[in-house]
Amino acid sequence: MDEPSPTTDPLTNQFGSLNDLAHDLASLQDLAMRGSWRSILDQVSRARSLALLSNPHDHLIYLSYNVLALTKLRRFTDASADLDSLHDFSSNHYKYESYPQLYPSRSGSMVPFSLRFIHAQLPFKLGNRQQGLDRFYLLLSFIRQKIEQKGSNSFQESAKIWRKRENFVLHCLIGHHLGAKEFNVCLDLIRDLIDHDYLDPVLISKLGYIQMQVGDIVGAKGSFHRVEAMLNEGYSSLSEVEFRNLVNRNKALVYLVGKDYVSAVREYEECIERDHTDVVAVNNKALCLMYLRDLSDSIKVLENSLERVPTVALNETLVINLCSMYELAYVNHSETKRTLSNWIGRVAPDDFDASCTRV
Amino acid sequence: MSSAPQGTHSLAFRVMRLCKPSFHVDPPFRLDLADLCVGEDVFDDPLAAANLPPLLSTQLSKSTDSSDLTYGNRFLLHHPSDAMGFSGLLLLPQSFGAIYLGETFCSYISINNNSNFEVRDIIIKAEIQTERQRILLLDTTKSPVESIRAGGRYDFIVEHDVKELGAHTLICTALYVDNDGERKYLPQFFKFAVANPLSVRTKVRTVKETTYLEACIENHTKTNLYMDQVEFEPAPHWSATVLKADELHPADNSSTREVFKAPILIRSGGGIHNYLYQLKLASPDSAQMKVEGTNILGKLQITWRTNLGEPGRLQTQQILGTPISRKEIELQILEIPSLINLDKSFLVHLNLTNHTDRELGPFEVWLSQNSVHGEKNVVINGFQTMVLPQVGAFGSSDFHLNLIATKLGVQKISGITVSDTREKKTFDPLADVEIFVESD
Repeated sequence: MDEPSPTTDPLTNQFGSLNDLAHDLASLQDLAMRGSWRSILDQVSRARSLALLSNPHDHLIYLSYNVLALTKLRRFTDASADLDSLHDFSSNHYKYESYPQLYPSRSGSMVPFSLRFIHAQLPFKLGNRQQGLDRFYLLLSFIRQKIEQKGSNSFQESAKIWRKRENFVLHCLIGHHLGAKEFNVCLDLIRDLIDHDYLDPVLISKLGYIQMQVGDIVGAKGSFHRVEAMLNEGYSSLSEVEFRNLVNRNKALVYLVGKDYVSAVREYEECIERDHTDVVAVNNKALCLMYLRDLSDSIKVLENSLERVPTVALNETLVINLCSMYELAYVNHSETKRTLSNWIGRVAPDDFDASCTRV
Repeated sequence: MSSAPQGTHSLAFRVMRLCKPSFHVDPPFRLDLADLCVGEDVFDDPLAAANLPPLLSTQLSKSTDSSDLTYGNRFLLHHPSDAMGFSGLLLLPQSFGAIYLGETFCSYISINNNSNFEVRDIIIKAEIQTERQRILLLDTTKSPVESIRAGGRYDFIVEHDVKELGAHTLICTALYVDNDGERKYLPQFFKFAVANPLSVRTKVRTVKETTYLEACIENHTKTNLYMDQVEFEPAPHWSATVLKADELHPADNSSTREVFKAPILIRSGGGIHNYLYQLKLASPDSAQMKVEGTNILGKLQITWRTNLGEPGRLQTQQILGTPISRKEIELQILEIPSLINLDKSFLVHLNLTNHTDRELGPFEVWLSQNSVHGEKNVVINGFQTMVLPQVGAFGSSDFHLNLIATKLGVQKISGITVSDTREKKTFDPLADVEIFVESD
């Protein structure tokens, strides 16, 4: 389905399309993109029962989609049980070199990394936060060993991927500490990231949001100024539109905190003008309108976004906000909410948490 | 929380407490495609390292292409920081929450017409009733809302700085003309309780001329408090300096130093932070104040912020210092000769001050004998009791005491005592003073 890269021979290329990576992977991925997680469970179970998965890596990749689908459907206990079926991630069963006839030129672990991540993240959903944190910190040290290994064997691409995973896990940890309001740990972790030359405008902006959440408005403004300076320095990890919108959204927050909602709305409108799928700008603009006593327009803004760009706008936070507005605006709000809920039922992906409409 | 109105009404109030919105945080199950559909070490294989990244990035660009309506963004990372689950989406307050003294109560009030007819001439009032008073927040008596159509609404936002503890009631009333011309009165009540956000415990210590005030602030709220300012406002005559420990991370790398100013956060539910102030009397000549006997040091002004900078402010009551010793008579040594020889008399220059507003004396000065140190090695040369004339109100008198040392080395002048002969009152002896006695 994809064009093979021009430097490889199409006949022998093992990386021409997703289907070269595992049995019928393209269709699994397609279902995931559409949010059809229930169909993924079906397809995995069919493939397993019809013995369509011939290679060890097929089994693992199907397992990773299956576990992800279960977590997406909030069947966390099932996901955990499914993960446990692997017993030990570092077992020889899951090493390429254990099957030299199948993988002649490969060695190392064929476990998809997502399984390690979900293994760490699941306890948070199962009410065992401490275990989740322990697993993430263990995962972090595991990754750091890997980076060292790959570096000393000069597997450059591999080292790059593992560094990306380190970064990923650090971001997950910041999120979990933030959720528990452990702000000082968050600030320390961000400081670590910045110290390791990971200077990123999105990260610095999030630092600003944390400072705002804490109440440190001066600190937040400092962070936002720094982001703006990066824009002028021509920082390139974001597209220009993304970067400009980020700067506008940051400015809007400063206005919002200062209760200057009119100016905040203006900033958000600039974002939406540039990119109508900027759902953060849309959602936050609607809130500002509400603080301006314009409940009717704030409802309109959210409803319009759901109509025009449902796949991006349809997220639980936005729906919760819309329902709070309905509850305030209409005495008979249950009817309005039910209409919304029915519409969501038709268009939403399987993993959408319908409880957010509070019907 | 709210009480429903009696009878049938066309109008109804709906209320939402409008504190600052909050950021939604929830680390999502979103990941990198390479972590899902290949083994974690596959990139060790040079062939994979060369060919996989282009394949995966074509897949990824599909998920972010907004023209292609997919839900790819719900499970694939677009940017590394997506893993934090902290997108910047704001969430409206989902419950009334706790409200504390020193905060601002803000509420969105919507009056809905849920009948099928228009209502007219609506006089709306919003008031806060506390245990002590009733405060008017909104009143449209002078310009009543002309009409609210069927299914329509009239919205307003009220604000009130919370200055009292305990039970509060937001009272919303509407006086309106119904469809059939009937004048109706709709009262609705929304109750809430105001709690104390923090407690302040103070300790005062006086070391010589300096007074130290330690204030321990304890957070009783359910959120962390970002301490904006904790300032000591000294009473007249006093000056205050806040004493701070050295920076915790003095060796910080300068690039992060710009970004981070370690905030003072007091943890929710019982976290504490201590502040130390050094207080000094602004004018050394504070006789006036001592006489008045006031020991008010001043008060603390505390301002804090919580979620998205929501401010709070409190002021403590006057903080009292250690009671100032209200000595009527004060004896001070002004000068002792630097060279004192054994068995040679020497003069000690003393000053006697009367801190009262009346004349005292005459006085007698002597060396008390009940010394705990046993034998005295410094004694008065000559008459063992010296007589001093009266000293006027707030006056003072200088005099010299003729002493003689009877032993070499470090010795103490101890027990210089003064008594008022008229009032038959003996004052506390002067503290011991060390001298060095040399041989000739």
